[in-house]
Amino acid sequence: MMKVKDGDFDKLGLLFERHNRALFSFFYRKTFDSQLSEDLVQSVFERMLKYRATYTGSGTFTTWMFSIARNAHIDHYRKEKRRKEDEILDEERIVADIPSGYAEMNERKKQKILLERALEQLTDDKKEVLILSRFEGLRYQEIAEIQGVSESAVKVRMFRAMKDLKEIVTTLSEEFSDE
Amino acid sequence: MNKEEYQQLIADYLAGTLTSEQQKQMEELLASGEIDFIDFKAMEQLHEQMDLVYVPEPTAEMSARFYAMLEKEKEASSGKAILNIVHWLRSALEYVTFPRLAYAFSFMVIGAFAGNWLGPNHDRIEQLTNEVQTMQQVMMVSMLEGPSTTDRLRAVNISAQLPEVDETAIQALLFTLNNDPSVNVRVQSIEALARWGDNPLVREGLVRSIIFQESDIVIVTLADAMVELGVSNAAQEFQRLINEKELAGVTKNKVESTIAAL
Repeated sequence: MMKVKDGDFDKLGLLFERHNRALFSFFYRKTFDSQLSEDLVQSVFERMLKYRATYTGSGTFTTWMFSIARNAHIDHYRKEKRRKEDEILDEERIVADIPSGYAEMNERKKQKILLERALEQLTDDKKEVLILSRFEGLRYQEIAEIQGVSESAVKVRMFRAMKDLKEIVTTLSEEFSDE
Repeated sequence: MNKEEYQQLIADYLAGTLTSEQQKQMEELLASGEIDFIDFKAMEQLHEQMDLVYVPEPTAEMSARFYAMLEKEKEASSGKAILNIVHWLRSALEYVTFPRLAYAFSFMVIGAFAGNWLGPNHDRIEQLTNEVQTMQQVMMVSMLEGPSTTDRLRAVNISAQLPEVDETAIQALLFTLNNDPSVNVRVQSIEALARWGDNPLVREGLVRSIIFQESDIVIVTLADAMVELGVSNAAQEFQRLINEKELAGVTKNKVESTIAAL
């Protein structure tokens, strides 16, 4: 990134090849929308060029990249005026259409569907900690820098994300089985 | 050990970062029943099963779009180089109150660089552009430190024209926000800083500046900027501001609604 900052734009191609899949996964797990995730990946690399002067090399590149990704996602939802709704988690939201053929599916397939539906319903800050820690392999300290909170707060958020996820999975499982 | 400490311990366990001492502590808590074993195992199992969550492959169009954008940026940056220099020279001439010596020095340096570097070589043009941007930032920082309010306002406006800013320029703007005697300058500096809202240094600096503010206009501008940038951790500092300072009714209401929004 330091070379991109110094004007060697071709090096951004290397960064794209190295990180586009991780960024796409990050956005997909947040939005469950492929097209939107691709748009947001594009937005991240555009911002990297636009704000390249702000990269100091003092932290890890991954932390800086996910900070930009996080802001791109926030900006998108601010524009769409949907962010507020997405951050609300209450009992009413734990309602989902029953997937067709659910009763005939094997346990692994059922669990996959339950986890995807439950992840979709987590609040954005908890979902983000879970994605960055569990899927992207970031340390809690790095996530704390990205979210602008303390490391302890991130750990508590991670615990609560897992606790909420467990409760949502249980609720959905009961609903789907009752039908 | 309180509830949040248990939670942090479990989070460390899930990330696989427990020290041997913490591991022992955790086993004791599970053995004594202070951490519910069944709940804990269910959470651990769920954490392992997360790999089941499906993520599709991005399409080839994503790469195509990226490389098209990159090519466009490369072409634009070579074309912009000369235009930026002309634009900056024109802007610099407008600031007639800035000491003549600074102008003379700037022209001398630009002349020296242009003489030495301008030519068909693309890298040299880019290098010259970078040098000019650096000089713009130096000029901005110098003007921010000057005694004239008009000059300081102009300095903040210069920052709005810069395509990029470095840490020194950001620190100068944050210092201005926290210390400038003019409300107008402080308000303008918030708006200038908000342009670089993706920068963690800017976000952190804006949050830290909340408690230093006395002016209602500055507080309200800062509140709007925090909501616009989505800086959620600013809520704590706004709460601290309400607790520690006596704010006017309207301002207090604005801060409270900002905390709720964040």
